[in-house]
Amino acid sequence: MNSHVKIASGAADLSRRSFLVGSAATGLVLGYAAVPGLDRALAAPSNFEPSTWYSIAPDGIVTVTCGKADMGQHIASTMAQMVAEELGANWKDMRVQLASNDPKFNDPVLGAQITGGSWSTMMNFDAMSRAGAAGRIALTEAAASVMGVPAAELVVRDSVISHPKSKKSMSFADIVKSGKATKTFTPDELKAIKLKTPDQYTLIGVSVPQLDIPSKTNGTAKYGIDVMLPGMVYGRVVTPPVRFGATVKSVDDSAAKKVPGFIKTVVLDDKTGSTSGWVVAVASTYAGAKKAADALKIAYDNGPNAKLSSESLLSEAKRLQALDDSGQFFVKDGDTAAAFGTAAKVMEAEYTTNINIHAPLEPMNAVAEFKGDILHIYSGNQFATRTGQIAAAVAGIDPKYVVMHQMWLGGGFGRRLDADMMIPAVQAAKAVGKPVKIIYSRENDMTMDYSRPLTYQKVKAGLDADGKLIALNHDVVSAWPTARWGIPDFLTPSVDKKGPLDSFTVNGADFFYTVPNHQVRAIKNEMAHNATPSGQLRSVAPGWTFWAVESMIDELAHASGKDPALFRIELLDGKGKNDGGAQRLRNTLLAAMGLAGYGTGKLPEGEGMGVACVSSQERASASWTACVAHVAVAPSGEVKVKKLTVATDVGMQVHPDNIRAQVEGAALWGLSLAMYEKATLKDGGIEQTNFDTYTPLRMSQMPEVAVNVIANGDKPTGVGEPAVTVIAPALGNAIFNACGARLRALPITADAVRAAMKA
Amino acid sequence: MPNLTINGRNMSVEAAGDTPLLWVIREQLQMTGTKFGCGAGLCGACTIHLNGEAVRSCQTSVSEAVGKKITTIEGLSAKGDHPLQKAWITEQVPQCGYCQSGQIMQAAALLSRNSNPTRDEVVAHMDGNLCRCMTYSRIQKAIMRAASEMRTASNAGTERRST
Ligand code: FES
Ligand code: FES
Repeated sequence: MNSHVKIASGAADLSRRSFLVGSAATGLVLGYAAVPGLDRALAAPSNFEPSTWYSIAPDGIVTVTCGKADMGQHIASTMAQMVAEELGANWKDMRVQLASNDPKFNDPVLGAQITGGSWSTMMNFDAMSRAGAAGRIALTEAAASVMGVPAAELVVRDSVISHPKSKKSMSFADIVKSGKATKTFTPDELKAIKLKTPDQYTLIGVSVPQLDIPSKTNGTAKYGIDVMLPGMVYGRVVTPPVRFGATVKSVDDSAAKKVPGFIKTVVLDDKTGSTSGWVVAVASTYAGAKKAADALKIAYDNGPNAKLSSESLLSEAKRLQALDDSGQFFVKDGDTAAAFGTAAKVMEAEYTTNINIHAPLEPMNAVAEFKGDILHIYSGNQFATRTGQIAAAVAGIDPKYVVMHQMWLGGGFGRRLDADMMIPAVQAAKAVGKPVKIIYSRENDMTMDYSRPLTYQKVKAGLDADGKLIALNHDVVSAWPTARWGIPDFLTPSVDKKGPLDSFTVNGADFFYTVPNHQVRAIKNEMAHNATPSGQLRSVAPGWTFWAVESMIDELAHASGKDPALFRIELLDGKGKNDGGAQRLRNTLLAAMGLAGYGTGKLPEGEGMGVACVSSQERASASWTACVAHVAVAPSGEVKVKKLTVATDVGMQVHPDNIRAQVEGAALWGLSLAMYEKATLKDGGIEQTNFDTYTPLRMSQMPEVAVNVIANGDKPTGVGEPAVTVIAPALGNAIFNACGARLRALPITADAVRAAMKA
Repeated sequence: MPNLTINGRNMSVEAAGDTPLLWVIREQLQMTGTKFGCGAGLCGACTIHLNGEAVRSCQTSVSEAVGKKITTIEGLSAKGDHPLQKAWITEQVPQCGYCQSGQIMQAAALLSRNSNPTRDEVVAHMDGNLCRCMTYSRIQKAIMRAASEMRTASNAGTERRST
């Protein structure tokens, strides 16, 4: 599927581009040159605007354009913070706006517009800082020439440039109005700018008020679903009973035609493979479109997946795992087979997770409008580059004629990396010749989610006579969420040279424990891949790999008679390739233990604490997170989570309060996935359709969460995801310590706990 | 054509009586602060006030709303400065923000009749409002902050009146 989609990279390589500061009608505009070395923008200010990274208006207001999807992680505000720090602007003067999909807003490192994997802060820090510093230098030089003093004697602070000796000063607004601040930085000059050192920061590390928050308390923030265009009509999607593989045999819309305002029925023709068997009812109002959709009589061929269920996906996974030649190796250190032969004790266990649904609170939506040659898309999307290409493909036009207008995202969690919502919008707009707004019903949104796949993992481990872990085999069987995109750059070569694998199914299994003989095999469950096209759900693979790894480590510790936390610390010895990471993870674990009072007192009967520590989400971009979960288990198997203590080493804190908010949200997501969220496949379709049967955590289920952030001054790491992955194993381990029940399947239910207590 | 009173203004809308109020408010009147989340009364994103009571606008038909006072997030306060809105900013509650209009409207109905709620009363009152970003603890803190601010303000008012 989607195999024609390629990411064009290269256009975003900022290291080869000049940075321009120039005057335009709107004030001062600052940004990278569109074409390396070509500074035509300065000659023609009207051409300049589109490549603006930020601007300073004559009233001194600094507006930063954010090319990232802001789904509640406040990345737009964080970008403004990075610019403001180096620019020397007063935070009160900062504003943000969202960018369209012009390649010039591409991510400086990834070369595309994609927001996921907690990458944003890490990867934009340098580019945004330099952009801010370049602005400060240009403003300072302009102020120096106006004041007639040496630039080196000027001080920039809170949007004012002053000359202490002469007591002269100019505000940014004054300088912009003077029209003097124009400057071009060559790539080398830009690189040579000396950025502030952390001790000089006045904004980074400070919890400044997030710029988007006021608009989210008074109803004015505009999400994709809020877009209104003149002449716009509405499309309601009707989806088939199966998740994927259906075709429409016939549509009878005679009853729909009687609905007032009905315009047309559109059967989607989707060659990108994003949807199958979808029909759109278009009407002048959304309520009318719903009535018309309800009145459609559609006959389907439910296709090859119509008999499949969660059970069939699981048994297929087990079958594949049992085959010696399945899958490809992600890790192959030492010789596990030989080591198992010498081991004093060998243990095996299976771990599973069920299908999970993103369910951001804003259902998927998009508005499409054809205006002349240009297709305009309005939607909140995490992957504008690929999404624009898919929209172009279903419109039958070149991607360069698609303009994506970014909106605030009512939750992303990885769901809005995908582009399925563009297809009904584009094809309906084309069919009726008007702008069309598509809004998924919650039922559409749940049953057609690119879900977190059902996973099956088998772990085999060997201990030597001292109880030391000497060998570990870890097989991971799942649908492959990233392979589905068909973008080769996102795949990883296998160590056994059997072709690329989807590392977004096994990340985390390459942990920082020192285990001399270690194998990780990624096995694609083709059946699941086809029947339940999967996606990136907040933190992706570490959401299941650490469930297996961190549960198994606990089982091994108990088998060798050691304290599970101390057993981990021994394994985190920082030898070889684990040097650095292992020590950070160890320190984080120790911090969580200390804060939770782990092992310091006797807990009442039926209570227990459990630990887990994770290096989500990828080895190369890990952040270090540990959790101590404290639970009370009733004889009925009912689990009460008393407290989650989370410690996380995030390197540098750009915005401490935001980090706490993200980590707490992530921890509660982890709890929700561990205990409350479960989707199932039956007859090829997702059974849960709304929040009555798919039940994310609510306020009454929220335990005490203590978040402790360790900032050791290193590069900032991602914070929105790791805590998701640490909770389930910490809970499972706590439950074992409370009542002796070992859980190996998510979500954890009272019935499963009770059954495991007896076992 | 039904006549509705929304945020103190009279508006005539073009909609069948059985149309959910949510869609009339959002798409026809283009007051988009009220959100669609589930369409089934399960998430609270669409919460508005009908004669001061918090209701789910996705489950309320236009005809049920005729003759009643409808308040949406846009009409909760003149300048976005209801004590809850201020507390939401102070506590930096919203992440994606999508649920927050509904959360604020739900909380406002509670505080209008009980300006000193216990934690359990807050939880019971708010449990129907989902926040997928899981901002629950900040929502709780903000409600408590707003409640205390409202009590202080009304005490000050009483004192002024009594002097
Ligand atoms: S949209 Fe009305 S309760 Fe969810
Ligand atoms: S802030 Fe995102 S759903 Fe509540």
